[in-house]
Amino acid sequence: MTANPILELRHVSASYGAIEVLHDININVAKGEVVALLGPNGAGKTTTIKLACGLMRPNSGSLHIAGQDVTGVPANALARVGVCTIPEGRGIFPNLSVRDNIIMAARDRASISVIEERSYSRFPILKERRDQLAGTLSGGQQQMLSLARGLATDPVVLMLDEMSMGLAPLVLAELYEQVTAIAASGVSVLVVEQFARTVLGVADSAVVLSHGHVRFVGPANQLDDETLSRAYLGS
Amino acid sequence: MNEGRVEEFTREIAALKTSGAKGDTEKRLLALGSLLMIVGVVLAVIGGVQVAGTTNAADQMAAIATGGLLGLVLAVVGAALFLRYSIGRFMRFWAIRLIHEHRSETDRVISRQ
Repeated sequence: MTANPILELRHVSASYGAIEVLHDININVAKGEVVALLGPNGAGKTTTIKLACGLMRPNSGSLHIAGQDVTGVPANALARVGVCTIPEGRGIFPNLSVRDNIIMAARDRASISVIEERSYSRFPILKERRDQLAGTLSGGQQQMLSLARGLATDPVVLMLDEMSMGLAPLVLAELYEQVTAIAASGVSVLVVEQFARTVLGVADSAVVLSHGHVRFVGPANQLDDETLSRAYLGS
Repeated sequence: MNEGRVEEFTREIAALKTSGAKGDTEKRLLALGSLLMIVGVVLAVIGGVQVAGTTNAADQMAAIATGGLLGLVLAVVGAALFLRYSIGRFMRFWAIRLIHEHRSETDRVISRQ
């Protein structure tokens, strides 16, 4: 699907205990590409993210990043070098200020002022609220903060899990606008989203999962309603 | 994101150790620590019994060397390994628990407003 991908899952299968939930899946994300990972509840989307960020080891198959086989490398080691995952539920520290949340995610040796500037230029509202406790922000602003924290790590690969959860469509559109801008700067983005239409507008490619099998891989604009319906509702 | 960052990323990825067995290593070292402590204590007891069971000074010295000194060293090394890895695990759980409690507390405060 993709020449010289930054992130690759090759023939990956994974299970929880005795139950196999992903069966021989292949996913590629190129530099600066947005790949939407779609599918109904229980399709294996979050499991795929866990595998791609090193939180889970596959039963078989391998994870390649920048051409290197990194299967089994722990998530913290991958995160440290620039593989950033923003989990479902945002994962911010609600009892810390906005500024502290951003700073504590920064890469080693990074300039704090540069990181703050980078975050606030993308999300000006966070600058206004930088001394406010993160837990007191609105849902949309918390999601902005989680994205800003992700950017503070200077990521090369960014994975977003269910960013739309609990957000109004208008806020979500604003967030996806930023995701597009982030990808345009060269960051490879893998977006897990239950609401297909929301993300297909910004994605370059799409992968549709259903019951742990890949049902579609290809350009986002070639994903038709019938394939989507079959994946979500069954044939 | 500039090309330099991508190159740096590629270099850092290439430098990662792909053993990925840190969790297993921790468990193994924790078990080894426990085992060394037990072996150390057993050796010390055996050494003590051997020393008590003979009046020959040379035999007593040998028993002290194997039982007392070796046993003591093994027990200390085992205890250090055990503490290091059991505390590491405890601290991780503690940090997760703390974060969870802070989140719950903040949610409670916000829901009261």
